[in-house]
Amino acid sequence: MADAVQAVELSKTYGAGTTAVLALDKVSLTLASGSVAALLGPSGSGKSTLIKALGFVSPADTGEVFFAGRAVVKDGVPLADLARLRRRHLGFVFQKANLTSFLTARENVEIACDFGGKPNGRKRARELLGYLEVAHRQDAYPEMLSGGEQQRVAIARALANEPSLILADEPTASLDSVRSRMVMELLRRVAHERGAAVLVVTHDHRALDVFDVLYEMEDGRLRPAARQA
Amino acid sequence: MNLALRDVRRHLARFVGTAAGLGLLLSVVVAMQGIYAGMVDDATILTRAMRANLWLVQRGTRGPFAEGSRLDPSVEARAAAVPGVHSARPYTYQLIQRQHHGAVMRIALVGLGWPDDPGSSLPLARGRRLAQPHGEMIVDASLGLDLGESLELAGEPYRVVGLTRNALTSGGDSVAFLSVADAQLVAFDQPAEAAVLERARVVDRLRRTDLGRAQPSLEELANDPRWRGPALASPPVAAVLIDADPHRIDAVRATMASWGDVTVYSQTEEEALLLGGVIQRARMQIGLFTVILTLTAAVIVMMVMYNLTLEKTHDLAVLKLMGAPRHRLLGLVLQQAWLLGALGYAVAYGIGQLAYPQFPRRVLITADLALLAPVATLVIVTLASILGLSHVMRIDPARALEG
Repeated sequence: MADAVQAVELSKTYGAGTTAVLALDKVSLTLASGSVAALLGPSGSGKSTLIKALGFVSPADTGEVFFAGRAVVKDGVPLADLARLRRRHLGFVFQKANLTSFLTARENVEIACDFGGKPNGRKRARELLGYLEVAHRQDAYPEMLSGGEQQRVAIARALANEPSLILADEPTASLDSVRSRMVMELLRRVAHERGAAVLVVTHDHRALDVFDVLYEMEDGRLRPAARQA
Repeated sequence: MNLALRDVRRHLARFVGTAAGLGLLLSVVVAMQGIYAGMVDDATILTRAMRANLWLVQRGTRGPFAEGSRLDPSVEARAAAVPGVHSARPYTYQLIQRQHHGAVMRIALVGLGWPDDPGSSLPLARGRRLAQPHGEMIVDASLGLDLGESLELAGEPYRVVGLTRNALTSGGDSVAFLSVADAQLVAFDQPAEAAVLERARVVDRLRRTDLGRAQPSLEELANDPRWRGPALASPPVAAVLIDADPHRIDAVRATMASWGDVTVYSQTEEEALLLGGVIQRARMQIGLFTVILTLTAAVIVMMVMYNLTLEKTHDLAVLKLMGAPRHRLLGLVLQQAWLLGALGYAVAYGIGQLAYPQFPRRVLITADLALLAPVATLVIVTLASILGLSHVMRIDPARALEG
């Protein structure tokens, strides 16, 4: 499998002097296309900072990020149009669905197609909502959807631009165990069927069996995590 | 997909309400400008309708509109004799207030130099010009009198034979046109008691002079109500209007300017005097009102646009995280501002159509104002969206990841 994204020795410090916090400490990570990885760790361990760095939102202070084999950020300096990279190649799923409040479910997906330069956005949005079994709610505004429906629409939105990399930050935090597992399996299906690399930040240890790779972060350092028997 | 329209659709009631409020403000701004334009037009119609090349007024005055002017009527004959003058017409102007059918009427009486000027140059809406030197008048429709109706002035009925539209003074008073002789009758009309007292004063003065004591018949004459002393001057006029050969106006003007009892103004100068002297203060007042209202509208739109943008901060952060092109997000704010302006202007236009005709002062929407108002609205809402645009630029997409 090809590498979707590769991070090399990323470091980032928040604050300065005695209040400085090392959020990332020479973190290196490779995510292969078609694989789904879990990122575990306690709060404040640097998971969100890593997601922001891999999602080209807040670059690390030092280190490099390669995307599809090409260096796109080096030592905090963008080497490419990061917003364009995000809209063309990245999908995000959040702890809360974070759907755009003034767009319907279908329009939330359609706008991502639009940004990603995908033609036939409306048709594609309907297909994706069907794939995630929420097509019947396509004309509802986010506030009219249940938590599980919102999250499925959010995943459909993340898939709209056919991303090479999907970053999910605790996507099941607000869901019950049945729906949590359903979302995790859905993300695995997306990775395996659509060839995207998926990185999921999670605290939920009940569904770790769906992941191909497990990572754990502590005090800004990343290490492979062992599966519990 | 147009994000601005989608957001408006979601918050339609609030958006329409805001546009209606803006429309009300704009309608006031336009009304102020329209009232000013109407005031200028009303003021100058009095001079324009006379179609004179030159205005002769009392020496050293800025009459007859900006200040009083009393000119001996002999100036008319003197002016008519100047080479290059086609005609010279007397002109009088005075304000009166009368009651008619229980309503108070303020009327600007303009005396026309019959028979040379029966009102041929007046913009008649209905009826005809004056056909006789006495008992007829042409009035502005705003006075509320109809053709054939009579108004009593100086104890005599004056029949309305013609109606003009928008013949008003700078103060908004309706104008009535009648012959100079009739206007002077009205101007110098005295109550019977005042006439008796005046005759008594003349007799008393005669008794205290040698001439009066030597010729008692003079006392009888002075007591006769039909008698008018030959040494008394004819009633003065306010101005004499000159129609001259266009090629010889400068020479005519130079000749008349050399006379010691008159000041000569061209039509343009007379209009400038009227505008500068009479409505300068109104112009400044309305100008200041307009500036304040325009700024108020701009500030309100700015705060509305800023609040609308502020409420969408999280949505915009998510869209930014998804890599939304900058122009799409800035377009959302700008297009909403423009839509707000367009709707506001439409509301203002509708209000104008319904309300302006009911205003006591004429609201004149000139071609310039009709063009300027929507352009100014566009500029205001564009400038007012700057705060919102700057907020969009400052939103950090990382906020979307912060729950």
